[in-house]
Amino acid sequence: MIVAVALLVLAILGAPLFTVIASSAMIGLRSEDADLMSFALNFLEIASMDFLVAIPLFTFAGYLLSESNAPQRLVRMTGSLLGWMPGGLAVVALAACAFFTAFTGGSGVTIIALGAILYPALQHDGYADRFNLGLVTSSGSLGLLFAPSLPIILYGVVSEVPIDKLFLAGILPGTLMLCMLAGYSMWINRGIRKPLSSFSGSEIWAALKESAWEIPLPFVVLGGIYSGFLVVSEAAAITALYVFVVEVLVHREIPFRELTGIVRSSMVLVGGILIILGVSIVSTDYMIGAGIPQLLLEWVSTLVSSQTSFLLLLLLFLLVLGAILDIFSAIVLVVPLILPIAAGFDVHPVHLGIVFLAAMELGYLTPPVGLNLFISSYRFEQPILHVYSATFPFLMILLLSVILIAFWPGLSLWLVPT
Amino acid sequence: MPDNEPSVLQRLDAAGRWVENLFLVGLLAAMMLLSVAQIIAREFFNTGFFWAGEFIRILVLWLAMVGAVAACRENRHIRVDAISHLLSEPVVRIARVVVDVFAAAVCAVIAWHSWRYLQEEIAYEDVVLVDTPAWVAHIVVPVAFALMSYRFVIGAGQSVVQLRAGKEGQDA
Repeated sequence: MIVAVALLVLAILGAPLFTVIASSAMIGLRSEDADLMSFALNFLEIASMDFLVAIPLFTFAGYLLSESNAPQRLVRMTGSLLGWMPGGLAVVALAACAFFTAFTGGSGVTIIALGAILYPALQHDGYADRFNLGLVTSSGSLGLLFAPSLPIILYGVVSEVPIDKLFLAGILPGTLMLCMLAGYSMWINRGIRKPLSSFSGSEIWAALKESAWEIPLPFVVLGGIYSGFLVVSEAAAITALYVFVVEVLVHREIPFRELTGIVRSSMVLVGGILIILGVSIVSTDYMIGAGIPQLLLEWVSTLVSSQTSFLLLLLLFLLVLGAILDIFSAIVLVVPLILPIAAGFDVHPVHLGIVFLAAMELGYLTPPVGLNLFISSYRFEQPILHVYSATFPFLMILLLSVILIAFWPGLSLWLVPT
Repeated sequence: MPDNEPSVLQRLDAAGRWVENLFLVGLLAAMMLLSVAQIIAREFFNTGFFWAGEFIRILVLWLAMVGAVAACRENRHIRVDAISHLLSEPVVRIARVVVDVFAAAVCAVIAWHSWRYLQEEIAYEDVVLVDTPAWVAHIVVPVAFALMSYRFVIGAGQSVVQLRAGKEGQDA
């Protein structure tokens, strides 16, 4: 007990999360007189997971995209397609951010790459400053439910749910989140009747031509996977190579000397995620050996009795969890423990995954440690409290959508073949 | 103390960064090209490299470990970042020293036990990729944890130096 409190304090003081998880696993193993050599044995399981290679490859592709001019081209293309709506620019911002986040995996890159273009553009078009700040901050994690986002892949790896099923399951709930935010944005800005642009065939054609090299990307990823032609890890390799060829060799927007830096910063993120995965495997193996999921299930069963009340409890738990932990650590640490519990309440593992990711998406926006809040505060030089309050209405809308997603399993499971 | 000659530590630092970059670029390029080559071989030549899957998984292990070492240097390991926005600068620095010493100790323990595990693999002549000794593939684990332990010690040392510099600044 004292040890647990000490580790918790260390975590709050800012100890790297992997060291906290590793030490708790080692203490657990020691308490059962196990040789700590077994730590190394279990840690090496990260070298036996099939689809893990997709994570470095997609991350690299996402970093390359965000360093090129692809964000500008994406905004122009979405603008030409959606800009005619009332509140057009806000809708454009949401759609472009969702698309971009799917490819860059919710590491804060979206706010930096796209927010820098959209925020001034929104201001210029007369949208209220508070609205713009909230919109850009909350769209930084929108799109996590769309393929091929890193959290979905990580959930698939950890839960052993087929990743292609998760990709399909995320489409409708992700679209729901997007539509609710878009609806809110149009309602709030109903005073600003001025559309961004009129619907123009020639502008659409020009924008499409400009993005001609990037447009095939989603089709490579999704088409390749759903046709059965490629597995996720292969689609990741092709995406990475394709993006490299397009942005470095064809568009020549990234000089060769900058590549090392891009590789380094993307792989630093990957290393940080995968080492947490490695030590979490050790700690999960220990906990399963000690029968902890079983104990948890019994304990939860004393609290709730129906699937509905279980989902409610789960949502509460995930919202608190998301406010404290980042999405990657939460997935590797918590998913193995709640999978058997959810199965006990007949929650489909695919649906559980979507609820988990959707709820954790809110974690990006909840104080005290919401990543998007800090990135936004830093990037747009706004006081953090101002960012909190500007983001609040968007957070509430997203909360509503997460509740809908949780209690409407059909939305997640509709497109998934049984 | 202005000093234009880079110290031993600084040279070590630059060399370490260079080696990390070399590994990261090489490993990523290898896994990307090997994966694509594998698809081409399968789809167009109806063949494949039976060892490719296992080799790529070992590359992932190496990339994860080298990336984690690099993350220490960049101070980008995932943390619960709750207090740095709430407490004053010196308090945050003191907390930093404490957690870095803790992290260094944890990494040292893991490095030691995975080193022992490696000795077992050598003794039992475990192999990967048909006939390669397993320790060749797995040596990255103890080495990386040892390096991380070293980086955390350096990090704690730097925080102490900054703390003392801050104090002297206040006294003056």
